[in-house]
Amino acid sequence: MIRTALRHHAPTEVAEAVALLDIHADRAAVLAGGTMLVPSLTRGERDLDHVIDLRRLGVDAATVTADSVHIGAMVTYAQLLARSAFPGTAQLLQRVAGAITGGPQIRCQGTICGSAAYANPSSEVPAVLVALDATMHLHGPGGARMIPAAAFFLDAYTVDLRRGELLTGVTVAARAARLGYYKLKLAEGSWPIATAAAVLPPTDGGYGDVGYRGAVVTLGAIGTRPIQLDLAPVLDDDGRLPSDADVDDWVVAQIGETWDDELAPGDYRSMVAGVVLRRALHRAREENR
Amino acid sequence: MTELATEPQQVEAVPDRDVSMTVNGRACRVRCEDRHLLVEVLREQLRLKGTHAGCLNGDCGACTVEFDGQPVKSCLVLAAAAEGAEITTLEGVAKGGELDPVQQAFWDNDGFQCGFCVPGQIFATRWLLARDTDPTDEAIREALAGNICRCTGYQTIVESVRAAAAGLRDKRRTT
Repeated sequence: MIRTALRHHAPTEVAEAVALLDIHADRAAVLAGGTMLVPSLTRGERDLDHVIDLRRLGVDAATVTADSVHIGAMVTYAQLLARSAFPGTAQLLQRVAGAITGGPQIRCQGTICGSAAYANPSSEVPAVLVALDATMHLHGPGGARMIPAAAFFLDAYTVDLRRGELLTGVTVAARAARLGYYKLKLAEGSWPIATAAAVLPPTDGGYGDVGYRGAVVTLGAIGTRPIQLDLAPVLDDDGRLPSDADVDDWVVAQIGETWDDELAPGDYRSMVAGVVLRRALHRAREENR
Repeated sequence: MTELATEPQQVEAVPDRDVSMTVNGRACRVRCEDRHLLVEVLREQLRLKGTHAGCLNGDCGACTVEFDGQPVKSCLVLAAAAEGAEITTLEGVAKGGELDPVQQAFWDNDGFQCGFCVPGQIFATRWLLARDTDPTDEAIREALAGNICRCTGYQTIVESVRAAAAGLRDKRRTT
């Protein structure tokens, strides 16, 4: 049982939600799917007086066009999976949605935007949104603003949401790039220890099997926030990678502060970072021949 | 001598509200506090004990119900958020005294076992078979991944789902 005198609000207008968040500040939190917030209240880890439930806000639609996908804050993973394949690189969102742990129940409850706002470093969503150059749609007392995902994720469990602001949706460009995704985790029901999303230009530029020119890889669950790496500094003139050991050393040098949790210490995550990066790159090339 | 404080501690009143929902096809209204979980209201107010309270953490799946047609873990839902929702609990699965085909397959194949995880297993199976009439064992195990069987008897549960799928396919062929 939740032990605080919680009040539940279900505003129907964004302005009303913003006003509630602004008034109650750190005594309030936004409720989307509830898969993280509600159990944290039950466990007594969070002490709140108000939850602002978005279910009546009209942000439960996913809009797909030829070149982008917009996902409202209440769109669940199951909704993404019920749609036909997203165009271009946006398909990665559906791949991630299909691999969310916790079975169909969690996929029917959890949301991309909720995971983004929660910003658990071990969650797949933050790094995937950075990899896809997503745009975060925020509404607050000062009005609406949009920021790139790379600027939204500031630290572990910390995002660029100002007082009274909420995340109402995210837009992902559907680029015609080659995409490879690799996830390292210990068991089906486990959070990942490391993820890598590799994005390569749509064609190999004549470099065939060896070239990674233009490659950008985003690492998740390794640092306290997503780590985006442009591989240009480490490639030779033909777009080739150096030896595996050199790649691993270069990746470790880029990581900065690593993430520790019950699944793995930071130094283990550093050790596997180069491996998951190389596997994602390989998949980007092999799965897009 | 130190005097004990005599002023009563101020305790904020816990707000409550009426929540209207349809449960197992019947409209009902419950009075609950905003902090109450849906699983608590189903079990303690509506006395629907087929919904089990396990981990209260979203892990075990024993509290699963169908919420507007989708399987959800009711320990992750505030009852206040269920206003207007259509909810099916395990008690609402059997119709007219007859077990649902999924329940029957679990019965025939020893899938129930101790019964604690049954709500999650049954509702996850219904969700799977509504989308995949001939699932592989891998798909079955993936669909059941949100449910923890404390008997650890997963094999008979997988066999039950396989049998349920076969039974439903047969039923479709003959009707």
